[in-house]
Amino acid sequence: MRKVLGLTSLLVGLIAVACLWEHVHHGTIKFLTVQNARNLLTLIGLFGILSLGQSFVIISGGIDLSIGSVVALLAILAADLLDKGQGWSPVIVIPAILLLAMVIGAWHGVLVTKARMQPFVVTLCGLFFFRGIARVVSGDETRGFGSAFPKLAWLANGFLPNSDGILPVPFLIFVVLAAIVAAFLHLTPYGRHLFALGANEESARFSGIRTHRLKVLAYVLCSFITGIGALLLGFNINSIGPANFGGFYELYAIAGVVLGGCSLRGGSGNILGVIIGAALIRVLTNLVSILEIPSQLEYVVIGAAILVGVLIDELFTSRKHEV
Amino acid sequence: MRSYGLDGVDKGRPSARAGNAAYAAGLLLAAVLSGCGGPDQDAAPGPDVEPVKVAFVTNNASDFWQIARAGTEKAVKELGCKVLFRIPPTGTAQEQQQIVQDLITLGVSGIAISPKDPENQTAMLNKAAESVDLVTQDSDAPNSKRICYIGTDNYQAGAAAGELIMKTLPEGGKIILFVGTLDAQNAQDRKKGIEDTLAGTNITIVDTRTDETDRLKAKANAQDALVVHPDLACLVGLWSYNGPAILNGVKASGKLGQVKIVCFDEEDETLQGVKDGHISGTIVQQPFEFGYQSVKLLVALAQGDRSVVPDDERIIIPVKTISQENVDAFWAELKQQTGKS
Repeated sequence: MRKVLGLTSLLVGLIAVACLWEHVHHGTIKFLTVQNARNLLTLIGLFGILSLGQSFVIISGGIDLSIGSVVALLAILAADLLDKGQGWSPVIVIPAILLLAMVIGAWHGVLVTKARMQPFVVTLCGLFFFRGIARVVSGDETRGFGSAFPKLAWLANGFLPNSDGILPVPFLIFVVLAAIVAAFLHLTPYGRHLFALGANEESARFSGIRTHRLKVLAYVLCSFITGIGALLLGFNINSIGPANFGGFYELYAIAGVVLGGCSLRGGSGNILGVIIGAALIRVLTNLVSILEIPSQLEYVVIGAAILVGVLIDELFTSRKHEV
Repeated sequence: MRSYGLDGVDKGRPSARAGNAAYAAGLLLAAVLSGCGGPDQDAAPGPDVEPVKVAFVTNNASDFWQIARAGTEKAVKELGCKVLFRIPPTGTAQEQQQIVQDLITLGVSGIAISPKDPENQTAMLNKAAESVDLVTQDSDAPNSKRICYIGTDNYQAGAAAGELIMKTLPEGGKIILFVGTLDAQNAQDRKKGIEDTLAGTNITIVDTRTDETDRLKAKANAQDALVVHPDLACLVGLWSYNGPAILNGVKASGKLGQVKIVCFDEEDETLQGVKDGHISGTIVQQPFEFGYQSVKLLVALAQGDRSVVPDDERIIIPVKTISQENVDAFWAELKQQTGKS
């Protein structure tokens, strides 16, 4: 909880400083406009969902580097099968896409557990492999959903309470998913076992936890949530270039989780932190844009912010250990 | 299931979209077998004559190059040559170097390449020019020993966009440019063309935002620009995906019809936007001609005919301005070229 408090103050402090800076230099605070809030919350929702999925795997002590490519593949396949309203019904396509996502996760999980391969290696191969499949399936042509599915598009682009509202639907989906994931991780025995597994696999196994099964489950849930993210991202952008759609997104997702206080060594972290970590990254990129900082500096800002966040986190933790 | 040669050459490539799973699986198998990115085109050669073998190398994977590929296929049909069409998967100079070396090993007579980083690739291009007929297409490397350049003059393309912006904004106003990265020569040339055309008018370019080819970022950039500059008159996208990204960003911001959009190239979403009147116009190159002319030129060179190279060593394919009046005709022609229904 201490971590989350620190992170929240970092987020609030950053926004306060940025608003002050903007007020002094430009005389207005465009960051706080309704229009910007709508844009920013949408992006927090879309990227936050990917971080939620990633957090399962990272808490289990693994990592999933493939999700950017998986996002591209699933979005391309969905667009292909729906074919702008000329193809199959979404009632079939969407469950099929999510099922495929789970199969991909299970495949990663089985390779990690049964074949005893390292998660980094398995999912690194996935990063190349699924990107390649996405390009082959689409013949390198950009895909989209057209305007044939207004209701599905609403899930990715819509707002509540009405089209002028301030609450983006993808953000609400993110919040609901986060609540479910948090309940699973923090309130059920499965969740507790996952933390135990991440902290020390051997002792978890000796205490009777079916570690292999649990690990596979972590990868399946990661890919399933990534599948939801892929569909929302696809509908949101509606222009899916197979060669670069979703590129780098695995790193944004991991960055959100790490910034949120989950250790890459596994076994620690909480979902509230992940939510704020994911939000922090989007706020930073948004501020680079809104404060008219040159685009080239964006990665510098993100890199520095993650470093500072994790450094502060490390200082907190090591002090606790010393006491 | 169709069969594939061990060299991975796909016999009888269908022109239909690679949508179905069996075809995709087959392609994948072919790609795995040959260890390369995709199938090659194969013409029907005469009974005894060894067909001329030339290569076409793109700078990345995009729809643009699929149109160019259709152009090379037309040349294949007409000339009975063989074209190896190569796409560097992530579009880096290093991949291009690897591809060019492999093509020379495969014994092609000529290569048409769109160099990713002309300045620093000069040595590599010169080395290739020693063993094959080397022409540049789409993006030039004027300091290299390439025989000829075939493609757009991007400065002219920028100037055409500038004209279109002036026509769209008779009252003047603020505009912002959006592009993937500014280190690419075509981005710089287009930007310069727009700047020079708009110099001295009442239209001001207030910013240029880059997105590192991330479409989501490109959309967010457009949305952010509308927040920062509520009085923005026009958004200009310099690369092909910037058009759809800006259109979606403007739509999401609820500003459709309130701000103008001008962009480049011919993605489906862009053409639909032009048709619907949401995009004022788009400046299109003719990638089909890049493909067609490149192959024709390389085949002529292979047969020893140097007269096809103009004195200034540049074959400029003019750009077209597509607006609501001519979009239907252009789109129909495009679909016919690429064999899409």
